[in-house]
Amino acid sequence: MVQKGKPEKSWQKLQIFLFGLIVLLFLPELSLSAAHSAGAADEIVVLSGARILTASGRNFDRGVIVIKNGRIAEVGERVEIPAGARVLDVSGCLITPGLIDAHSHLGLGPSGGVTEDNEMTDPVTPQLRIIDSIHPEGVGPDRNQFLNAVAEGVTTAVVRPGSGNVIGGQSAVLKLRGGTVDEMCILFPADMKMALGYKGAYAQKGQMPMTKMGTAYLVRQAMLEAMEYKKALAAYEREKQKNPEAQPPARDLKKEAMLLVLEQKIPVHIHVGPADDIMTAVRLHREFKFKKLSLAHAEEAYKVADELARDDVAVVVGPRMIVYDDNNQLINLADYLVKKGVFVCIMTDADVVQQPFLRTQAAIAVKYGMDPEQALRAITINPAKLMGLEARIGSLEKGKDADLVVWSGDLFDVRQEALRVFIDGREVYRNPKLDKTSN
Amino acid sequence: MRINSERGKMAMIKRYQKNKLISLGLALLVILVTASLLGAAEKNYLCFPSLTRDAAFPSKISSGSGFGSVPSPAAFMPEFSAFCCPGLLLSSTFLWGESDGSSAVVATPATRTLVVKASRILTMAGPALENGMVIIEDGKIKAVGKSLTVPAGAEVIEEPGGWVLPGLIDAHSSLGLTDETGRSENEELSEPNVAQLQVIDGLNPFDKRIAQVRAAGITSAVVCPGRRSVIGGQAAVVKLRGKTVEQMILKAPAGVKFSIGEGPKEAFGGKGRLPSTRMGNVYVIRQALLEAREYAEKWDAYQKKATEAKKAGKAASESSEPKRDLRLEALARVVRGELPALMECYRVDDISGALRLVDEFKLKAVFIGCAEGYLLAEEIARRKIPVVVGPMGIGPKRTETEKLDLSNAAKLHRAGVKIILQSEVQYGLGALEELPLVAALAVRGGLPEDEALKAITINAAEVFGVADRIGSLEPGKEADLVIFSGNPLDYRTRLKRVLIDGQ
Repeated sequence: MVQKGKPEKSWQKLQIFLFGLIVLLFLPELSLSAAHSAGAADEIVVLSGARILTASGRNFDRGVIVIKNGRIAEVGERVEIPAGARVLDVSGCLITPGLIDAHSHLGLGPSGGVTEDNEMTDPVTPQLRIIDSIHPEGVGPDRNQFLNAVAEGVTTAVVRPGSGNVIGGQSAVLKLRGGTVDEMCILFPADMKMALGYKGAYAQKGQMPMTKMGTAYLVRQAMLEAMEYKKALAAYEREKQKNPEAQPPARDLKKEAMLLVLEQKIPVHIHVGPADDIMTAVRLHREFKFKKLSLAHAEEAYKVADELARDDVAVVVGPRMIVYDDNNQLINLADYLVKKGVFVCIMTDADVVQQPFLRTQAAIAVKYGMDPEQALRAITINPAKLMGLEARIGSLEKGKDADLVVWSGDLFDVRQEALRVFIDGREVYRNPKLDKTSN
Repeated sequence: MRINSERGKMAMIKRYQKNKLISLGLALLVILVTASLLGAAEKNYLCFPSLTRDAAFPSKISSGSGFGSVPSPAAFMPEFSAFCCPGLLLSSTFLWGESDGSSAVVATPATRTLVVKASRILTMAGPALENGMVIIEDGKIKAVGKSLTVPAGAEVIEEPGGWVLPGLIDAHSSLGLTDETGRSENEELSEPNVAQLQVIDGLNPFDKRIAQVRAAGITSAVVCPGRRSVIGGQAAVVKLRGKTVEQMILKAPAGVKFSIGEGPKEAFGGKGRLPSTRMGNVYVIRQALLEAREYAEKWDAYQKKATEAKKAGKAASESSEPKRDLRLEALARVVRGELPALMECYRVDDISGALRLVDEFKLKAVFIGCAEGYLLAEEIARRKIPVVVGPMGIGPKRTETEKLDLSNAAKLHRAGVKIILQSEVQYGLGALEELPLVAALAVRGGLPEDEALKAITINAAEVFGVADRIGSLEPGKEADLVIFSGNPLDYRTRLKRVLIDGQ
C-alpha cells in the first residue's frame, strides 16, 4: 500500500502541478483561477463569513476557515485571523468539505464506447491496476470530465475497474487537482474490485462463469490460490533459513494481488444488485474475513439490510437512488439503509451518471426524505472513512487537507453553483461569475 | 353518490318500497330520458375516440355519479351500459330520497365536486394565483380563482404553503414500450422506414413504470418510437391511467418520428445497410417524403375527381381509386402538414439536415434532443420549430451529446424557441421521475423559473395539440393537478398529491 506524498512536500512536484494548472487554463469551457492558485505555498488564506458544514458534527452559521500550508489551520466561529493572511469575504455562501465519490470510472472512457475499465479476456484479473488505464483529463465525449467534476465541487474520486469481470482489479483514490495520474493519486491500491451476478460476456462465449455459482466459485478459487501462494512463500522463508540457495516460488502478479486481500491489507468492494448476490458477497466476507467489505449499487439491499448492518458491510448507493419494492412502492435506498444502521456512501458511478452530478445524486436522496446531514456525510466523510483516509480528507477539521468548496447557496439545490473550489489549499476552480461581479 | 354499506342499501330498499309507485314512475321517466341521451352519446363516441376518465374508472359510474348532470357526452363509455340498468333504478331512488330529505345516504351532491386550495396556483395560463383555489366538478376544472365560493358539499383539499401545477407532461418517452424486464417494443429495426407503425400497438398499460412516474406527478406522456429507426412510426399522447390503450389515448397519432444521427447509423450501417452515413440517413427520409408527396397528390386528384363525379350525379369509378399504402398514408399526413414531423437530432450537422428537410417539404416539425441546438438557436427560432430539449447531460455522453450544455434550454428560449423539457431517460438518477429536477438544472443553465415550469406542462400540450384538454388549469380542462408542498424546483419540496381527471 503506497501513500502518495502531497505536492507541497516536494517543490519539484509542486512545479509540475502548477504547470499542469496553467495548461488546464487553456482548455475551453471552464476558467480555472490563475491568480490565486499561483500564490506562494506558505500563503495563509482565510475564508470568512460563510455558513460552514464540516461533516464532523459541528456546523457554523458564520464561520471562519484558516488555510495554511495546504491544510486547515483553524475552523470555527471565533477564530483569530493571522497577520498577513489573505482574507476572502464569503458571507452568504456555504462551505462544505470537497465532495468525494466512493465509486467512479473517471478517465476510463465513455460507457457504451471503448472503455478502459474492463479487461474482458479473463474473468479473474486482480493483478490489473486501474492507474494504468486512467486518462488524467478524460477522453472522447468524456474529455474535460476532471475539470467539470471539480467545477461541481468533487475534489476526490475512488476510481475503480468495471464490473465486466468477476475480479476486476485494484482501485485508486485520486484528488482531482490536475497533473498526471501519479500526481493525483493519493492511495493505491485502494481496494480490490469484484463483481458478482451473471456475467453475460463470458456466458455468451460458453466460458466460466455462466452462472452466479460459477462467479462465486471463481472468487473462492482465487482466494484459495492466494492461500497456497502464501504457504509457498512461508515455506520458502523457512527453507531459506536452512538453505541459502533455496529458490523462491515464481512471482505471480495475480496471486500477489489476491494476497493483499487475503492478508487484509486492502478492503474488498463488490458490485451487486439483487439480494441473492448481496448475500453471496456477505457469505464470501464471512468465509474469508475481508479487511472491510463494501457493496456497490445493491439495489435490493433493503431486503437484507439487517444482515448488512450486523456484518458491518458498507453500501455505496447509486447511480440508482430510488428503487421500487415488489409492491411497486418507492424506497429511498440510501435513507432506508442509514435508518437500518448500515454505513452508506452515495456515488455517481461516473460516467453512468456524469461525475459533476454527485451532489445531485445526494439531493435526490434528500428530496425523498433523507436527512441532509446524512446525505452530506455520504459524499464526504463516509467515503473518506471507507477508504481509510478520514485523517486527511472528508471533513473540515483542524489539521486536515484543505479540500473545500464555497457554494453560492444550498448544497443540494442544483440551481446553486460552486464559486470556489480548493484542493490542498489551492484554488483549483473559480466560477467565472465572480470575475463579472468585480470580486 | 356512493353506497357504502349494506345498511344503506337496506334503507334504500325500504324507501323504495314505501314510495314504490312514485319511484317506478320516475324510473321510467329517467330511463326514457337517459336512453335518448345515450343514443346521442353513442354517436359522439364514434367521432370522439379519445376517452376520458369515466372509462378508466367505471366503478365510479356504477356508484351512480348522478345522471341529472352528465358532464359531457364523452363520459358515456361502452362500460356504461353494463351499469346503466341498476344505476338507473338507484338514481331514481336517490332523486326521490333527496326530496324526501331524511336519509344520510343522500347527503352528498349528485356531482362530485372537489376544491383544491393552496397558497400558490400556477395555472400556466396567466400569472400565478396567490391563495387561490381550483374547483373541480366531475373530473373537469370548473373554476380557478382567488375568491370563489366553495360549493356546498364539496370535498376540500387544502395545502397551506403548497403549490398547485397542472399535471406534468413528459414529452419524449418510451413508457409502456420498454421496461427493465427487457421489453423493447419501441424500435422496429427490420427496415429503416417503418412510418406505418403505431406505438399504441406496442404499449403496455400495465407497465410498472407508469404507476411510478404518475406517483411523481407526471400525468401524461408523449410516447415515441426510438432513436435508432430512421422513420420509426407514429407517436401518441397518452394519459398515464387506464387499463387499455384506448382509455389512455389523448391523441394518436400525434406525429411521425424521424431520427438523424448516430442511432440509425449504428442500427443499419452496423449491418452494412443503408444508412451508414448521415447523408444516407437524410436521403432515406427525402426519398420517403417525395414518395409520400406523390401519394398525397394522387389521392387528392382522385378525391377531387370523385367529388366532381358525385356532383355530376355519377357514381365514382372504383377502378380509379389509388392503391392504399399504410406507410405512405402516414407520411402523406406529414407532408400535408396534418401531423408534425418529430425529428430527433443532436449534433449541428444533424440539426442542419433536419432544417433542410423542414424547408424542402414545408414540414410542421418538432425537434427532439438538439444537444447542440444552442449553436443554431436563431435558425430554429426563425422557423418557429419547438424543441424537446434533452438530455441535460446527466447520463453517459455519446459522441453526439458531447457538446451538450446545461445552458442549452436557456439559450434556445432566449432566441425565441418554444422549449419543452423531457425526463432524463438514462439509467441512474432516479431517471424518469425527476422531471422537476431536470427543470431545476435548466434553471441553473439560465432558464427563468416560470419558463422551466411551462416547459414541463403547457408547452408540451400546445405543441402536441392537446392543450384543449390538458397542460394548464383553466375552466373546461381535465382536472390533472399536482400538489406540491412548495416550489417543485426545490429539492426540499415534497409531492403531496396527484390528481388525474379529479381522481
